[in-house]
Amino acid sequence: MAYQTVTVTQARMPERRPRSRRDRGMLPVLLGPSALLIAAFVVLPAIYGLYLSFTNTQLTGSAARNPKFVGLRNYEYLLTSDDFGASMWNTAQFVFLSAIIGQTVLGMLAAVLLTRKWLKGKGAFGAAVLLPMVVPEVVASLTWASVLSPREDGTLNQLLHVFGQAPVAALQTAPMLCIIAVNIWRGIAFAMIMFQAALEDVPEELIEAARIDGAGAWQVFRYVTLPLIRGPVFLYLLLTTITTVGVFGLVYFLTQGGPGGETRLTAIFIYERAFQYSQIGLGSAASVILLVLLMVLGLTYVRLAKVDV
Amino acid sequence: MKRIRFAAAAAAGTVLLGGITACGAGDDPAGPVTITLLEYQQARVDVLEKLIPQFEEDMKAEGKDIEVELVADILTDGDFKTKVTQQLHAGTAPDVLDTGGSQLTGWAAAGYLLELDDHLDEWEDWGDFYEVSRDRAQEADGHVYSVPHEGSVQSLFYREDVLTDLGIDTEQPETWYELIERLEAVTEKTGEPSIVLPAGTAWGQGTWTEGFLPIVAGTGDTLFDQESGTWQLEGEGLDASFDLFSELTEKGLLPVEDLLNPNPWEPTKYVSFAEGTLPVAAQGTWGWRYDWGPEGSAPIEDVEEKVGTWNYPALVDGTEPYSIAGGGFSFAINAESEHPDEAVELAKWLSSGEAIATQLAAVGAASPRAGIADIEPYASEPVLLDAEEKLQSSIAPPTGEGSDQIAQAVQNATGDILLGDADGSEAADAFAREAEEFLGPDLIAE
Repeated sequence: MAYQTVTVTQARMPERRPRSRRDRGMLPVLLGPSALLIAAFVVLPAIYGLYLSFTNTQLTGSAARNPKFVGLRNYEYLLTSDDFGASMWNTAQFVFLSAIIGQTVLGMLAAVLLTRKWLKGKGAFGAAVLLPMVVPEVVASLTWASVLSPREDGTLNQLLHVFGQAPVAALQTAPMLCIIAVNIWRGIAFAMIMFQAALEDVPEELIEAARIDGAGAWQVFRYVTLPLIRGPVFLYLLLTTITTVGVFGLVYFLTQGGPGGETRLTAIFIYERAFQYSQIGLGSAASVILLVLLMVLGLTYVRLAKVDV
Repeated sequence: MKRIRFAAAAAAGTVLLGGITACGAGDDPAGPVTITLLEYQQARVDVLEKLIPQFEEDMKAEGKDIEVELVADILTDGDFKTKVTQQLHAGTAPDVLDTGGSQLTGWAAAGYLLELDDHLDEWEDWGDFYEVSRDRAQEADGHVYSVPHEGSVQSLFYREDVLTDLGIDTEQPETWYELIERLEAVTEKTGEPSIVLPAGTAWGQGTWTEGFLPIVAGTGDTLFDQESGTWQLEGEGLDASFDLFSELTEKGLLPVEDLLNPNPWEPTKYVSFAEGTLPVAAQGTWGWRYDWGPEGSAPIEDVEEKVGTWNYPALVDGTEPYSIAGGGFSFAINAESEHPDEAVELAKWLSSGEAIATQLAAVGAASPRAGIADIEPYASEPVLLDAEEKLQSSIAPPTGEGSDQIAQAVQNATGDILLGDADGSEAADAFAREAEEFLGPDLIAE
């Protein structure tokens, strides 16, 4: 079996043309600028951040004059800190419920709906789903702050009033649920676009064949469509996990991590420690921990999807 | 070939021209010196826009050609601190900074601010500044890094009209026990919380400077020892202060929900106090203008008739009601400034005569120095003149390196109380534990 696979792969490989000297000369020219930019703005800051995480660097106070090497002290502190642990747990809930479950399921639903021939007004539907993604983050946050305002004139409370219900302070009583809902609302569009593109590549004849064999809509989706778009789905999960772990503005504008730290995501924890409390060393250590976790998650997705990234 | 030569000549010409232009762009010794002044509150920007041309004229009359560029960057206190700290660290901050005293301590210790001792010793007016103002300007290392141009007294502001209507005594309460009895009576009648003291993490630094510090400072505890430069993390006063926050929370007297959410001053001070449904609020002198004045964030009509102030009542045995100096802005000079003398000149000018009188009346602050009470428009501000009187006998709150970390630990500990996760003594323990972690051994008393 393995022999056959290799044979097929080799048979499909185009004959490799030896690179000319001119081609080889072009490589540094074409890759050089992007390599330089990545080195300057990604690799070097990451290395510097790693260095800072082993120091007690602060932006204020006498420690700002003479930062000292403190070894693993920042990591020890973070890994035993209830606040940091709580922020990681908040982030896990936020990513799982808003990105992995909410955006993926609803984005897939929207994409499948858009492939239906019977659906009327596809343009308007697509635009409505797309709108939250194109609105600037600050505008989206302010809009939701207005919707969820505890005042009687907040949009949600006016709606509740129509149904004879008392006003609620949703951002106080169910803050995590609110930010999850807002993030789902904002992220559906990206999921929809990715899944729509993937669904268009699924051969129509396979679906027709399954239907002729008596498969229902759910069975066609579960056993034919989904396995064929597994790569794009895992790629999307990888991207949305990375971007959702980094979500800051949307949540910070709405709750600032409150009430009582209930929505303090790790990104907000890092901002508070590094910039509000000026503890750059500690904030860097928290960032490094987050980076390592994201790399582990990313590699897991890539393994599961068996796609080249 | 000709084309290549032409291109080379053009390039050389461009470089030469660029070089000449660059030489011309340097500081012209005969030209004006430009200094930058950063303001982050609109009321202060408005008043300085009117004052700066006069400064430039006065300097010209003295033979000094100084231009001031006013940088208006409207921000909240927290955002201002975050942004300017980074600018100072990167060496890109403006020459003159105008801010409250709480962040100056951390900046001074970091070496970002110019030491002003020699400049102020040579300035005759410095002797006119009240002792409490000079004490506040002096940092833990014994040096002065800022010129206080406002004084502020932290008090309990109360709605006299509302309390009178409810039949509640409005005389100065002698003890917190007495005040809590009155607050309970208010809450029983209205069904609403009756006092706001900044607490928890959402109020940021204000939880420390306007909420907790004014209370603990009146207990007589030595919170910060100036001689050793260390913080005392345990004491009777600290325990009593955390117990007080716990009691106010348990009895439903604090607006817990509002305090746990972003911008907690808005629903409390700007809405409930202004409407009269929350009749007592901890507040600095600036509340008369900045919060509830005719052009403030939440104007109260006839504010000076409807609102009164109490000193903080005694919390522990053997103490008396007291007022405490708090808030009030100071001018500080960036240590990296290319024109420190001119920057100091601006700070001194703005802290003198008509210039300071105009600012005090505009932003609602007491004069930090003598000799201003007769200058208009400040002279026609009875509540500010009254605050100036009180300022002279006010307690100077303790401050020193590490106050940011102490503030952070207090925010978390009072936040635990608001959430119902800790009572007073548990919060005091959590504060001591966390402050010890944040400060490190060098800044803690043995």
